[in-house]
Amino acid sequence: MTRLTRREFLRTSASGAGLALLAAGCGPAIKGDFAPKAGRRVVVIGGGWGGATAAKYLRLADASIEVVLLEPNRQFVSCPFSNLVLSGVRSIDGLTFGYGGLRSHGVRVYHDAASAIEPDVRRVRVGEGYLEYDRLIVSPGVEFQWEQVDGLAAAQDRVLHAWKAGPQTVELARQLAAMPDGGVFVLTVPPVAYRCPPGPYERACQVAWSLKTKKPRSKLVVLDANANVVSKAALFRAAWKDYPNLEYRASNKVVKVDPSTREVTTEFGDRVKYDVINLIPPQRAGTIAVQADLVGADKRWCEVNHLTYESVKHKNVHVIGDSTIGLPVPKSGNIANAMGKICAVAVVHLLNGKEPPAMAPGNTCYSWVNDHEAIAVVNAYRIEGGKVVQIEQKLTPGQSAQWAQNAVGWATSIWQDMLA
Amino acid sequence: MRTIFRLIGGSLSLSVVLASGPAAAGPLDAPGAAKALACSACHGLGGQSPSNTMPVIAGIAPWYFKKAIEDYAAGRRPSPEMEPYAKYVLEAGVDDLASYFASQPRQPTAVRVDAGAVERGRVASQQCVVCHVESGKGDPAKGIPDLRGQPPGYLANQMLLFKADRRSPGDATLKALKELMKSIPDDQIADLAAYYSSLR
Repeated sequence: MTRLTRREFLRTSASGAGLALLAAGCGPAIKGDFAPKAGRRVVVIGGGWGGATAAKYLRLADASIEVVLLEPNRQFVSCPFSNLVLSGVRSIDGLTFGYGGLRSHGVRVYHDAASAIEPDVRRVRVGEGYLEYDRLIVSPGVEFQWEQVDGLAAAQDRVLHAWKAGPQTVELARQLAAMPDGGVFVLTVPPVAYRCPPGPYERACQVAWSLKTKKPRSKLVVLDANANVVSKAALFRAAWKDYPNLEYRASNKVVKVDPSTREVTTEFGDRVKYDVINLIPPQRAGTIAVQADLVGADKRWCEVNHLTYESVKHKNVHVIGDSTIGLPVPKSGNIANAMGKICAVAVVHLLNGKEPPAMAPGNTCYSWVNDHEAIAVVNAYRIEGGKVVQIEQKLTPGQSAQWAQNAVGWATSIWQDMLA
Repeated sequence: MRTIFRLIGGSLSLSVVLASGPAAAGPLDAPGAAKALACSACHGLGGQSPSNTMPVIAGIAPWYFKKAIEDYAAGRRPSPEMEPYAKYVLEAGVDDLASYFASQPRQPTAVRVDAGAVERGRVASQQCVVCHVESGKGDPAKGIPDLRGQPPGYLANQMLLFKADRRSPGDATLKALKELMKSIPDDQIADLAAYYSSLR
């Protein structure tokens, strides 16, 4: 955190009164409440699909509530559509957006990371200071379980995940483009649950399409920790008929990577050589959710109330997006967006002493199978007995350019729904 | 000195908050607004779609909204995206959602169209005015929808679906429309979409 950032924040804060007064009275570890609360306040941790949506819709639902969004990145980069950056079909710039739209709704966007949550005193630690809240929404996304793959932690700079869209996406695209024709690209799929169930298979399509059109003597090997394609299986397998350069191996969990020999090892001891590796590591809830004891017995994911997204472990703390589990919904951007809205409305009702309405999420999920065609799965849900229950899941009957056009329409709309 | 200013500023903002009382009705306070949030990811807040493929449903006539939802849910208007959501709408209360979207102020699509295509579409539209009338606003009494200001991509897609008999297949009331569509070349369909999209 820089002085400039804090000054900027104070200047835009409804009440900058407290810094000098409170800082003097605090211990050395915490310098103070750098933005004392003037009225009711909700702090949102994480400005991704869930958190950005929640911050915006909190302000839409009740503009008298102060909303502070903590997000270290100055720009949002969309994971959906980022597989198209690998194949060169789209640029990363087209998936990158600022937070100015949220500011125009009166959200106080603060580009720093929350370092700890203190639920008993309703405070979020930020660097050497803290922020008070009435209610907290935690939307930290996923963290990687580096330790699950031998050699991975020490090789993070060379063995890329590109599973959080941004610099790694661009670098992996560069590695793919630089791979000599005749090379082997190895893509590993982590065991469920992980962010974006169809994402690895869409990525396989994009890499295979790219190799087929630009490096016809090259090969893609997909090593899947799961027993079958996790999502849209029949549609992906039909799409892969166009890719004889794609070799799919189910139940091949990668447990070791060695960048010096350019080799991965499966749990059965099989070794696979690569020219380019894309290792998507096993995942759990974002670190702050784990440290704040929001995860369940599995130490990976957060259980929440299905109507309000309030943590079952800590009062006044809500968790949304990929960090949650226990609902019959996928870890998708569209679901995180839906959770952001539902949670925002619930939090505003609770702060106003009203009973939150029962609202169900929805999920629309497109996957690109080449440069111009897509497939989709759509899920509708209802609330039944206080729980989210699926009404129906529908798949496209095949792949087509029409679904790809609809995918572009979906992205155009939902990026605005989150950030504009 | 700076501390004093901050203290005064802080006190002022505190008193403003205390004096302001209940917040004025916001965009989510309208009846049905909470149920409609499931729609806004694609159709935009209040149904004001920003994209080229999703229709604007802000200000939509309730009779047409209900017909569309019922047709989608029953599979008469095949759509893997809309069939599940239509079932959600029927469970959530189609009348509530129809009233909500009908009450939302409608803006024409922000998607730009080519002036040449609009002019060609205007000339070609003479074959459409019998039903959709000169203004393009349709005729609710005959079940003819308003086409004005919809995204051109959405309008073109619907015409192509009619042409291929993939929208409401087998519906006798649409037989003449589909025969007409079959006679229209695809590039003229794009011109017609541009023209109706440009109407206000």
